Amino acid sequence: MIPLNWYLGLSAIVFSIGLYGFMSQKNGIRMLMCVELMLNSANINLVAFSSYNDDMTGQVFALFSIAIAAAEAAVGFAILMSIYRMRDMIDVDKLNILRW
Amino acid sequence: MAMENLAFLIPLLPALAFVLTFFLGKKLPSGGAIIPIVAIAISCVISLAITVGLLQNPEHFVTQSVHWFAILNLGILIDPLAAVMLSMVSFVSLLIHIYAVGYMSHDPAKPRYFAETALFTAAMLGLILSDNILQLFICWELVGLSSYLLIGFWFHKPGAASAAKKAFLTTRVGDVMFLAGIVLLFSDIFTVFNGNLPEGVYVLQFNEMFKLIPDLVAINSTILGMEVSHLTLVTLLFFGGAVGKSGQFPLHVWLPDAMEGPTTVSALIHAATMVTAGVYLVARTFPMFIAAPDSLMVVAYLGAFTALFAATMGIVMNDLKRVLAYSTVSQLGYMVLGLGLGAVIGAEAVGVSMFHLINHAFFKALLFLCAGSVIHAVGTHDMRLLGGVGKVMPITFATMTAAALALAGFGIPGTSLGFSGFLSKDPIIEGAYLFAESTGNWLPYLFAISAAFLTSLYIFRLIFMTFTGKPRTDYGGHESPSSMTVPLAILAILAVVFGALTRTSFYHFIEDNFVHLDIEALAELGGYHLAHHGHEPLLVLWMPLIVAVAGLVIAYLIYNRRVVDMSSIVSRNNPVYKLLYNRYYQHQIFVEFFSIKIIYEGLALAGFYSDKMLDWLVNGTSTLLIEAGDSLRKFQTGVIQHYAAAVVAGVGLLVILIKLVMEVF
Repeated sequence: MIPLNWYLGLSAIVFSIGLYGFMSQKNGIRMLMCVELMLNSANINLVAFSSYNDDMTGQVFALFSIAIAAAEAAVGFAILMSIYRMRDMIDVDKLNILRW
Repeated sequence: MAMENLAFLIPLLPALAFVLTFFLGKKLPSGGAIIPIVAIAISCVISLAITVGLLQNPEHFVTQSVHWFAILNLGILIDPLAAVMLSMVSFVSLLIHIYAVGYMSHDPAKPRYFAETALFTAAMLGLILSDNILQLFICWELVGLSSYLLIGFWFHKPGAASAAKKAFLTTRVGDVMFLAGIVLLFSDIFTVFNGNLPEGVYVLQFNEMFKLIPDLVAINSTILGMEVSHLTLVTLLFFGGAVGKSGQFPLHVWLPDAMEGPTTVSALIHAATMVTAGVYLVARTFPMFIAAPDSLMVVAYLGAFTALFAATMGIVMNDLKRVLAYSTVSQLGYMVLGLGLGAVIGAEAVGVSMFHLINHAFFKALLFLCAGSVIHAVGTHDMRLLGGVGKVMPITFATMTAAALALAGFGIPGTSLGFSGFLSKDPIIEGAYLFAESTGNWLPYLFAISAAFLTSLYIFRLIFMTFTGKPRTDYGGHESPSSMTVPLAILAILAVVFGALTRTSFYHFIEDNFVHLDIEALAELGGYHLAHHGHEPLLVLWMPLIVAVAGLVIAYLIYNRRVVDMSSIVSRNNPVYKLLYNRYYQHQIFVEFFSIKIIYEGLALAGFYSDKMLDWLVNGTSTLLIEAGDSLRKFQTGVIQHYAAAVVAGVGLLVILIKLVMEVF
């Protein structure tokens, strides 16, 4: 059986890739993809613990989290679509009208 | 007895009537007057029943008390003093309410009028039966408030609005003194008990206060190099409140101006309610006064001076109601003088003073209602425009003459024959003589006797100028409706016979008020030795009557026979007349000099600097906040990556903190 630590290691690596991507990219769609990566690293954690503790709660929770991620992606892409129609681009760093 | 358990209804019913009339009056006939009339009639019946019960069983006072909070209570104390006041106030107020149905019949704001007079009556009744000084003060302020509302009843008239403000502000000066007196008294009681106030005893109840008098006398403090007993201070401050409410010099200025309200209001304020509150306060706390050296002396001097001072102004006024207003101030002076005589005649002073208060309530209410009847019929206050009114209004003329005879004090000395005013004013003047003889202070007696002469002069001047002779203008007029003349007749009968019927029993009744207290011992605390009625010289006994007749004769000669040409005296060139007519320039001194020059401009100057200070504070605060915001908002870059970095940094910081502080790993 694969030890728990490997799963946690995988989860940490995926999360870091997601975080790096989120902080370094300007394109809105890429950023959303990175957010998905981070969410899924959390899901890996949940499922891993669930399996090791023989407790179904974690897997159920992971299902919830996937559903929410889907909804969040749908809303996010819808926003980006509207932005693209208004401005012909989706570079998030140019969308700074809500600052000082 | 069942009636005693209903005592709480006495102020409560008029208070309820106030609410009902205020909200429902418009839908009822004659502005809802029926509600307060019924409520006050029931209060009057209960009061009279309690009074009768007390007459049969004078030591059985009505006392009820409920816990309020801490060491304060709400309660009812009806002793003979309160009982006679309750009966008088509710009775006179009832008659005035009935009269007002006719008098106010043309006024569109009747519901407001009847609601406010009901509130006024409720406050006054509540004041009378309070059993502690704090509750009395609360009702005292309510009386002040409702008087403000009623004097300014016709608030669209600038004169009425400013008169209401003047009344409110002037009495406020007294109220502040009264409150200061209560605060000082409370702190002294605190000192007496060394801060451990006893459980279950309400120290501000009157009977508890009186028990502490010997302890309070011992507390002294030094003011301006003089050793002053705190009891003297407290009583003087209480008297300050009474000076404001009862229109004594120098806080009497609001009272003549209060004539701007409807005449019924003047009758209510001047006869039954507001002005007697001050006299009642002094009578109520009389055991404290008698133990306080000098306080009673101040009371006696100020009362006598006010009696004379106001009477001199009464003889030159041309406005019907103003003459009566100054007459009220003058008669209140007599009552206060009567209380001040307690230094010599002991608890009898309260009886003498209260007797005059009750009699005055009847004949002064009658005078005002008669004046109201005349004003209602002819539509003017100015006596110079009247004359010969007696022919058109015979009932008013007859009742007013009875009231005038009572006010001037006609009667036979040494007997119980006489108008009520004579039987109550005479003992005060006699007492003043006794006071003069035993203490050597002759001024109060001289003031009182001169004021008696002037009283007779001004009231018969009013009668002759208004009711006799030929009409000086074409004023028309008719006798008033029966809702107005019936109260007049009832009051006239009372003004004539009340004194003669009740004199002896009244004095005994009021003296029973202090049976639980040793008045002589208290007087010795104050350093007084009570004198007893000696045999005054015959001249002293007859003097009040002689001056009253002299006043009548002089008024008759001048204003009816016109043997003296008044035009030479009544002119701007006569300095005495000018001084009196301008009311001793009180308006100039109090308002233009004192209020405007000193207080108003002083406040304006203080306001200028405080404005600067405030400006600096307010502007400084806003500048600081704006600057802080300007620099802090730079953190909001609008770049999402920055926010994400901040979140990561924050989470990292939290992890480190948890590691350091909680040591979970």
